[in-house]
Amino acid sequence: MDYNNVTILFAEDSTYDAKLTIRALKKSGFANNLHHVKNGVEALDFLYCRGAYSSRKLNDHPRLILLDIKMPKKSGMDVLAIIKADPELKSIPVVILTSSKEDPDIKKCYALGANSYIVKPVESDNFFLAIKDLGMYWMVLSQPLD
Amino acid sequence: MDKKNKSDELVIANKKLAFQDEEKEKRDAELLIANAELTFQNKEKESRAAELIIANEELSFQNDEKEKRAAELVIANDELTFQNNEKEKRAAELVIANAELAFQNNEKEKRAAELSIANIELAYQNDEKEKRAEELTVANKELAYQNLVKEKRAAELAVANKELAFQNLEKEKRAAELIIANKELAFQNKEKEKRAAELAIAVKELAYQNSVKEKRAAELIIANKELAFQNQEKEKRAAELIIANKELAYQNLEKEKRAAELSKANQELKNAEDDIRKLNEELEQKVIMRTAELETANKELSSFSYSVSHDLRAPLRAINGFARIIEEDYADKFDSEGLSVLNDIMDNSKRMGDLIDDLLEFSKLGRKQVTVTEVNMNALVNSVIEDLRFEYDEEITTFQIDPLPMVNGDQALLKQVWVNLISNAIKYSKNKSKILIQITSFKKDGSIVFKVKDNGAGFDMEYYDKLFGVFQRLHPIEEFEGTGIGLAIVHKIISRHHGRVWAESVLNEESSFYFSLPINI
Repeated sequence: MDYNNVTILFAEDSTYDAKLTIRALKKSGFANNLHHVKNGVEALDFLYCRGAYSSRKLNDHPRLILLDIKMPKKSGMDVLAIIKADPELKSIPVVILTSSKEDPDIKKCYALGANSYIVKPVESDNFFLAIKDLGMYWMVLSQPLD
Repeated sequence: MDKKNKSDELVIANKKLAFQDEEKEKRDAELLIANAELTFQNKEKESRAAELIIANEELSFQNDEKEKRAAELVIANDELTFQNNEKEKRAAELVIANAELAFQNNEKEKRAAELSIANIELAYQNDEKEKRAEELTVANKELAYQNLVKEKRAAELAVANKELAFQNLEKEKRAAELIIANKELAFQNKEKEKRAAELAIAVKELAYQNSVKEKRAAELIIANKELAFQNQEKEKRAAELIIANKELAYQNLEKEKRAAELSKANQELKNAEDDIRKLNEELEQKVIMRTAELETANKELSSFSYSVSHDLRAPLRAINGFARIIEEDYADKFDSEGLSVLNDIMDNSKRMGDLIDDLLEFSKLGRKQVTVTEVNMNALVNSVIEDLRFEYDEEITTFQIDPLPMVNGDQALLKQVWVNLISNAIKYSKNKSKILIQITSFKKDGSIVFKVKDNGAGFDMEYYDKLFGVFQRLHPIEEFEGTGIGLAIVHKIISRHHGRVWAESVLNEESSFYFSLPINI
């Protein structure tokens, strides 16, 4: 399997949320080169080309990372902290996904350097809209750093 | 024989060949003609193709024109629709104007009838005036006669006045003579008084000398009595001093006893103080412990809220999202009933999400710190109405806002109260053709009471006790949307300000919601 040329790295443990998010991104045309991982450890393996991803080119960074905040093994916040502390990776925009605006970790994520966060709405129209806007903003309007 | 046969066959063969040659030449000639025909047809086709290209261009140009024309027609139709609407409005206005005119004509006829009655009245009054004028003429004659009588009487009075003036002169002369006689008498009296005064002074001198002598004798007697009395007093005082000394000695003993008791009491007080201090320290310790427990409980509540919100929402999102996917991708496999059930699933999962959000909002309210500042209620109400302007129709909605007093309270929380009460008033009036929302305030029992009144659907006072409960609704959700948390939030916020909320209503006519804030928070 070729893990190069991935534009969006998407870490989400919930199969259901992952299905809905990928569908929304596909419908908006942003999911062509999306790779989905199911926890923080897999996300880090991907970024650092370890384990299953050892064939990946190290400097082939995705253009956007979507992290669910609550994941087994390593949480979205753990992954965020490592990305933003790495001079090689820290310029990649990271968007945090959460189920609740009550989440006490949202503030901590901003402090760690998250570029924005999205509360996944219950109502699917709004959910699709939020994901579409996210793709539009970070994939089209924001130019990557050279 | 063979040869003959052979030559016959050859002749026949030759004839056949000659015939075939002829046929071939004919055929060549025909082919030449056919070729020429084909060449001609090709040329025709090319020129036809060229014409078709031109015709196609023409057609596409005409199509563009038609689309433009169609767009213009759409605009023209909109314009016509708008003009028709305007005409209908104008017609409606004319109907009203006609009704107005008819009403005015009726009024005029009524007025004309009134005028004819007034004219009859006037004619009657004129008759009356003429009668009165005749009566006045008679009265004038009477007056002229009375004037004559008065003039006669005036002449008689003038004679009598002259008589009186003469008598006055006589009286003045007599008064002058009396004044002179009085002065004479006054002088004689003064002489007599002077002599009497001199005699009185001589008598007083003698009396004074006698009284001095008597006083001196009396003083001597008193001085002797005084001396005797003072001696007696000194003896009495000496006896009293002896008694007082004994008393003092006794009191000193008592004081010593009392001092001993006091020092004992002091010791006891000190002990009690120590006990209190100890108790206080223990209490403080307990308060610190209890506060820590409360803080832990609060933190647990917060994390509970978070997990409620996080974990309950996730499956709802899946239900709603996958129902939507079925609707989008498999709609053709459902009949209308099936699609309607799918919509019910989506509506209900969304509603459950709203309920969770509202419940969290409500539970957060109980833990939120109330920050008291001075709040301008008029400014607050106006900003709330401005924020809500997309939720009501300005054509039919009127807000009447009295000048409201300043209060002390939490600005953000009080704003929430106004938002909930005013948006309720708007929401529950939506079925009325004219909406009036009145906001007033008054003082009552040391509190300021604010009132929001609407002329909307109202509610049945029989269910009043449910009105301010969490998730209680008095109307079906199909009629008025919402989760039923708004008034519960109002109740909680006002309770946290130590105020009260209440309401009254007439079903289908009006509702008034009140909240009071104590004047000094």
